[in-house]
Amino acid sequence: MSAQQYTAIVLNGGFGQRTKANQPKQFIKLNGLPILAYCLLALQKVAEVERILLNFPAGSQAQVEEIVKDFAITKPVEYVEAGATRHESVSKMLDQVKTDWVFIVEAARPFVSAKDFEDLAHSDFKNVSLTLPIPFTVAPVEPSTSEITGSLERDKLRNIQLPQKFWTEDLKKAHLYALEHNIIATEDATLVAQAGLPVHFINGPESNFKITTPFDLALANYMMRGETEYDD
Amino acid sequence: MTKTLLITGASKGIGLATVKEFMKKDESVSSIIMVARSSAAYDEAFNALSSDNPRKVNLHKYEHDLAIESDVEALLDNLKLHEQVQIIINNAGFTKPDSIQEIKMADFHTTIAVNLYAPFRIVQGLLMQQKFPETIINIASTAGMNGRSGWLTYSASKAAMINMSQVMKEELAYFGTQVVCLSPGRCATDLRKTLAPDEDPSTIMQPEDVAEIIRLTSSKSGLALDTTNIVVRR
Repeated sequence: MSAQQYTAIVLNGGFGQRTKANQPKQFIKLNGLPILAYCLLALQKVAEVERILLNFPAGSQAQVEEIVKDFAITKPVEYVEAGATRHESVSKMLDQVKTDWVFIVEAARPFVSAKDFEDLAHSDFKNVSLTLPIPFTVAPVEPSTSEITGSLERDKLRNIQLPQKFWTEDLKKAHLYALEHNIIATEDATLVAQAGLPVHFINGPESNFKITTPFDLALANYMMRGETEYDD
Repeated sequence: MTKTLLITGASKGIGLATVKEFMKKDESVSSIIMVARSSAAYDEAFNALSSDNPRKVNLHKYEHDLAIESDVEALLDNLKLHEQVQIIINNAGFTKPDSIQEIKMADFHTTIAVNLYAPFRIVQGLLMQQKFPETIINIASTAGMNGRSGWLTYSASKAAMINMSQVMKEELAYFGTQVVCLSPGRCATDLRKTLAPDEDPSTIMQPEDVAEIIRLTSSKSGLALDTTNIVVRR
């Protein structure tokens, strides 16, 4: 499937309230580079990606365009203002996809690599998400009473990662399904499954975590610098 | 042998010795981009290199004055003709030693332009051309580690070069680029003559000694030199 052409949807619209920085987290510097740059640099190296759709938090288009220019991203990039929710942002960008295949990735994953996209593209599955096994116990609970209500088999659970690849038509069908059933999805692999379409998982690298909290940011800085400074 | 090497200040001293060193001893380098101001000495050196080139290294001669911002941009335009640059050696240096009272701001500007801004802009410009070098070697000086009376502008510019190299090393690790700063001590070059006119050049380190260290630094075993500033002195 490697000859197929992809549009990469880059979710970059968050305001990063949970990182507690005074700017959207994708602009925070990680080892000197804005977080968003890492994802774009990885995509630049993926032959299958013919176009990048990049959204931006309202008011920050110029800042995003500057990063694309400074890091010499030569693949065509189109800019879309972020929707009110992640789900709406994906829907808006999906309308502009003209290729048969699409990647979805989040700018807040600076450890994403070209290989992650290539592994997805080369997978024989049609709709695929990178995932991680869950090494700890997850319990179902009732938040209103703080009650643990049973147990879950962790072999039957997976931590969903990005990037993901979809057959564009399937993802569009899933978003139509969401519209008809009033679903606001937090990510797309489970939405595709809910819509009754096939979606599979492959293993992703553990390092490809999403930066959400100040702790994540500290860890990411440690990991980036680990290569140069802390390797003794 | 497919690597392209870019070296500034290539017309004499450590720069010229380094070109010769790579031509003779590093088979992985197939192309050398020489940069220096135009001069009769540069023409002569280039002709001599071209006529004694048994490995048939592609020698490119560019004439640019790195003190002039627009000339650095012109160099970057020329570098678009080269597909990749695997090794960058920022070697060009300028000095005009004066006491604090005598320093002319124009000279201070030239010193910073050649010794700091140009090496920075060359690296930045190549990255923005999607060229990710394997190795960057910045030639600083022991004068950048310890300021010496009469050398304020030079010492300050080289201290900045050492610090800039540390930043480049950290930021560019992501791209797989090795960044090394070499700080030669007293070395028999024209620049040294300007700094210490009364010294006998035959008694101090020779450019060829530094050139050999530069080649070793960029070699496979040189990759193990995990330090930002390497002092080369005799």
